[in-house]
Amino acid sequence: MKNSSELYKKICEYLGCDLNSEPCQQIKEHMAKCPGCEVYVDNLKKTVNLYKVADNCDDIPDDVCTKLLISLNLDNISNSGTESGN
Amino acid sequence: MIDVLNYSTLDTTPQFDENELVSLAQKGDRQALSRLVIEYRNRIYHLGLRLTGNEQDAEDILQETFLIMVKKVHQFKGNSSFYTWLYRIAVNIGLRKLKSKPRKYDHVSIDDPDIEYISSTQTAEWPDFDYSQVSQKQFRKKLDKLIEKLPDIYRTVFILRDLHELSTEDTSKILQITPSNTKIRLMRARNFLKEELEKVMTEEGLI
Repeated sequence: MKNSSELYKKICEYLGCDLNSEPCQQIKEHMAKCPGCEVYVDNLKKTVNLYKVADNCDDIPDDVCTKLLISLNLDNISNSGTESGN
Repeated sequence: MIDVLNYSTLDTTPQFDENELVSLAQKGDRQALSRLVIEYRNRIYHLGLRLTGNEQDAEDILQETFLIMVKKVHQFKGNSSFYTWLYRIAVNIGLRKLKSKPRKYDHVSIDDPDIEYISSTQTAEWPDFDYSQVSQKQFRKKLDKLIEKLPDIYRTVFILRDLHELSTEDTSKILQITPSNTKIRLMRARNFLKEELEKVMTEEGLI
């Protein structure tokens, strides 16, 4: 099974368990003989990443930024070079 | 093609001395306030957009959140990180807005993944398809529709944990729920989206 060790660690992270804990050991044993679970987790990961890519396509419109700063009376404050892009 | 498996979007790690900026803002330093707005405006706008699925509502959430921030920043005690405090304001405004409007889609039933089924069947692995498709309007609409079908309590967790990459602990604090509850909601949201996305991609011939 490709990357099974990495996958097992990821699942335990998802569950918030210690890697040596009993639930993690049980997962490890199960994963070693279950390709269905590996595919399931991989597809889950692709789902999340698809949404992340999509989310990054939405830039805040310039006019919305301008209106925001005006409404807060902060439009005349100089912040050159401080844009983080976030 | 974008390498989606190593893709990160909304990094919540401040690229500046947040404590100092907040401290200055609390003393009425307008440049510090302005800097905080600039640092967080995109994240709050994204949060509003994903939460409501509507640009006008996202703009309203953005405006209201920062108006409250400017007005109440002096009340921030530093018991949590500043962004957790700010996110909580934005989420509360967003959820209130959602409650005041009729839902676009019917509530869906969210179940836990059927582990027995997963273990006993050979589910097809999705191929590494071209993720640049997500920028295409029609496909984006389908993605948005799926996320909007999620009940608010699941959608909010998915947005905070998976899209904004907040920790389980911070998400729990923002939503005032237990970490276990956050994990359960996230698992159900991810599973729902995966199942629904599989249907969409099959229809589109992507898998």
